[in-house]
Amino acid sequence: MYKTIEAYLDALKGELKDADTALLQDALSDAREHLVTALEAARAANPAVSTEEALPSIMEEYGSPEETASAYKEIERRMSPVLKQAVKPRSALGRFFGVYADPRAWGGLLYMIIAFVTGVFYFTWAVMGVSLSVSLLIFIFGFPIALLFLLSVRGLALLEGRLVEALLGIRMPRRPLFSHQGMAWMERLKALVTDKATWMMLVYMLAKFVLGIAYFVSIVIVLSFSLAFIAIPFLQPAIQTSLPGTAFIYYNGTSHYFPTWSYPLCVLGGVLLWTIFMHIARGVSQLHGRLAKWMLVSE
Amino acid sequence: MIEPAAQTKKFQKELNAGTSSLILLSVMSRSEEPLYGYQIAKMLEESGPGVPMMKQGTLYPVLRSLEDNGLLESMVEPSVSGPPRRYYKITEEGRTTLVEWVELWKQTKKFVDAILKG
Repeated sequence: MYKTIEAYLDALKGELKDADTALLQDALSDAREHLVTALEAARAANPAVSTEEALPSIMEEYGSPEETASAYKEIERRMSPVLKQAVKPRSALGRFFGVYADPRAWGGLLYMIIAFVTGVFYFTWAVMGVSLSVSLLIFIFGFPIALLFLLSVRGLALLEGRLVEALLGIRMPRRPLFSHQGMAWMERLKALVTDKATWMMLVYMLAKFVLGIAYFVSIVIVLSFSLAFIAIPFLQPAIQTSLPGTAFIYYNGTSHYFPTWSYPLCVLGGVLLWTIFMHIARGVSQLHGRLAKWMLVSE
Repeated sequence: MIEPAAQTKKFQKELNAGTSSLILLSVMSRSEEPLYGYQIAKMLEESGPGVPMMKQGTLYPVLRSLEDNGLLESMVEPSVSGPPRRYYKITEEGRTTLVEWVELWKQTKKFVDAILKG
């Protein structure tokens, strides 16, 4: 038995040394809160009792560090952090700016940036694979190439699913689809070609190219506009002092300047623009996740 | 081969894994005031007769997971002595979920009883 609360907490820390630090912190603060409160209650009930006398029964009721640690690990194992719900603030303003604290918004944004790279890759791979497979089918060795390509489509679909689940928090398959083990390779090819899922995956790979570019372009455009608006109060005076007579905006032969009174509005506009875009990014990426689920996961 | 006593302990643990969420949510639904962990443990001790079904330390991770799922909400308040306390309170979603869970529990109980009677 542990003589002090600190000794118990040390033992609990030892049991959870492999666990996530956030989990460890939760477990320690819960245990400290409980043991201290229970000890106070025991003293209040019987002032004559000493800490050493009261603690054993309290710790017995709380459970050994080993039991407590396994309870935390068990719960953590059942809950995936990406699927946890975001905290919902109350007021409309809180909800509007709460998007900055929402992991789904940041995950969605990151996904949309990565979608540019993955989209280009999927598209190249799909176009190359289809044209190579189809044109080589006149030769006997065209068939194994077609088989390998279609298998690679399945592999990429699984990979894309992992990416969607990690960044968008939408549950996607964790195992590859039925693998046709033990079938002759010609049979496998036939099974793959006749499976609707394969073609849906291929279409997704092509569609992702267009969507990926659209996502990336909109992020770059909105981010540049937002940053430019926020920077106006600093950039316009800086340009005027370093290069007198140069306007911030030069259009149709006339120079345009932002009046000083509009500086706060520019910053506010820039911040609002980006915040609204964060909301849009969250919504669009979630929609994309649903599209991915619909196209990549066969019933 | 696992010892019979260990088998029983393991089975108890598995049962608790399913029922502790239901028990805690039900206790929380009966209280209008926010409660902290020790109070909840005491309430369970008072309402549950005799044998302690689960260690108090295992309540806390369940409370946290209920909160992560939006069924409970919590706030931390400093206490007069000792570390700050985390107070839990049931949410509206928690109340509606509890109704469904109780229904499910009744069905499960009926089913298990029917099977055990043979």
